[in-house]
Amino acid sequence: MFAWSLAIRNLRRRRLRTALTASGIVVGISMMFILLSLVSGMEAQTRSMIRALGGADITVSNSTSFRGGMGGGGPFGALPSPSTLDASIAEVISGIPGVYAVSPQFSFSGSISGRRITIYGIEPASYEIVTGGLNIVEGRFLAENSNGEIIVGNALMEFLNLTLGQTVSLSAGQGGKERTFNIIGVFETGMVFQEYAAYITLADAQDITGEYGVVTQILVKCEDPSIVSDVASLILSTVPGVRVTTPTAVIQQASQTLNTLTMFFATIGLVALFAGSFGVVNTMIMSVTERTREIGVLKAIGAKNHQIMKVFLAESLLIGLIGGGVGVAAGGILAYLFPMLTSGLFSVGASPFGMRNAGLSGRAISNIRLATPAITPTNIAICFSLGALVGILAGLYPAWRASRMKPVEALRHV
Amino acid sequence: MSKLIVRTINLSKVYRRGKVSIPALNNVNLQISAGEIVGIMGPSGSGKTTLLNLIGGLDKPTSGRIFVDGLDITALGEGELADYRLRKVGFVFQFYNLIPTLTALENVEIPLALAGVPKSERRERALNLLRMVGLEARAEHKPDELSGGEQQRVAIARALANNPSIVLADEPTGDLDSKSALALMNLIKDLNRRNGQTFIIVTHDPIVAERCTKIYNIRDGRIETA
Repeated sequence: MFAWSLAIRNLRRRRLRTALTASGIVVGISMMFILLSLVSGMEAQTRSMIRALGGADITVSNSTSFRGGMGGGGPFGALPSPSTLDASIAEVISGIPGVYAVSPQFSFSGSISGRRITIYGIEPASYEIVTGGLNIVEGRFLAENSNGEIIVGNALMEFLNLTLGQTVSLSAGQGGKERTFNIIGVFETGMVFQEYAAYITLADAQDITGEYGVVTQILVKCEDPSIVSDVASLILSTVPGVRVTTPTAVIQQASQTLNTLTMFFATIGLVALFAGSFGVVNTMIMSVTERTREIGVLKAIGAKNHQIMKVFLAESLLIGLIGGGVGVAAGGILAYLFPMLTSGLFSVGASPFGMRNAGLSGRAISNIRLATPAITPTNIAICFSLGALVGILAGLYPAWRASRMKPVEALRHV
Repeated sequence: MSKLIVRTINLSKVYRRGKVSIPALNNVNLQISAGEIVGIMGPSGSGKTTLLNLIGGLDKPTSGRIFVDGLDITALGEGELADYRLRKVGFVFQFYNLIPTLTALENVEIPLALAGVPKSERRERALNLLRMVGLEARAEHKPDELSGGEQQRVAIARALANNPSIVLADEPTGDLDSKSALALMNLIKDLNRRNGQTFIIVTHDPIVAERCTKIYNIRDGRIETA
């Protein structure tokens, strides 16, 4: 339709005005984009921290403490083997309202190549549902039939000089067997202490320790993160002799803060955008007034009201699209530069467990940095369409005014 | 006698400015036959342009009726009037009123686009129209690259785009030198002879008046036949 060519020509004829008007939107959109990217980045960080902390909403374990003595020495000594629960408790817990899924786990202190570490026996499928799975960096995750297969932490791999596909001997210490396992995958958490561990199937774990029908933890995922504490107390009152931990409580606090931040940032962005939209309204009213005679001519030669409206809506939509496009691009560049500008400001300080530092391996500490913006397609789409939306909304009134002009009066306009 | 293309019955128009009523047309009864070139003359403020605007469906009369090609346009709603202007009427203005951002060709294409003619056909028909007014070579020029006479010829091509029953021109030579004015009138006569289009021209210009087949004089909102 000619509406588009008219709109494009007109914007081109007034390049400076178009640029200035669009820049009002650019400011709002780029701001919005940076803020959304920051929030997305924080969300991603939070997610990976949740994963690093074990992922489950609730961990149910025996209320009596560890059995047996402390595990082997060394800087990264394994945890002592915890007391067990009857495996059937998992069934009971899965029947509790609010529980989405449960995954039994048998962790024990075992040794690989003489090195004592924590071994987790898991049910791969339910483990992935409940915790989101492990961050596999090489190879693959366990499957239901992964008998004799093992996933080893990256730090341990490096420490013991192991390679993927290698066979290692795993023993469960006193009372247990010794069996060989094939390394089929390597996981990474970004936290060294968590990587001195290995995962095998629950069946293998029970077999190697000789403790059939029992588990050490039951990992629980709730239907909604907001009901975690309610479900936890429900578990406590329903199942005797257990203790619950909600390792993600802190993270949930963080994600609530994140939501508040999102709202806050979005509001700032919207206010900026709102201000920018007045520029568009102003420009469009100017454009309509300037072209009153043109509107009269178009009407005289037979343009209908909606066709006139289309001409001006096309124009303001184009301004919005330009503003949205440039805004996303500018915001993207700024979001990309952001970590360099704020380097160190938001990074997590030293932790008692010692974050992996750049010297230890190639992976930088930025792994755990909080404010690394994430540029996601969703954010691009949101910001771009927001620009278009502002363009259309800002153009509605001027376009309507143009369409309502009386042809005779419009033609008289000088 | 050929068939009537325009007929007005007791046509009156009164403008209201606040509490003051200004009569512009007073019981005008006018009959124009198809294929004529009608000149409407009269002093300024006599109601010439008002009459043209009413026939062209740009304005509504205070009372009376207008029939164009058998259609009572005073009974039409806003949207129908727009359609009437699009398909039955061509307008030519004193100051050409081409869209400055569009080329000559695109200006001629506008009425075709408004009428929903597909793009490829539009191009071809617009080019033919420009050829008809002798401006094929200037098709890609913007209005400000054309002389006044050329712009007015583009305007005529635009007015003829949807093959209207009547072409209404308000002082079409008012801004042209006499040579261009003469050329324009020769073009109008030529188009009239070839296509049988009816032209109604409001003018002061004797060059125009001499070439009309009929002249009406308007004075104080009333028609006086010449």
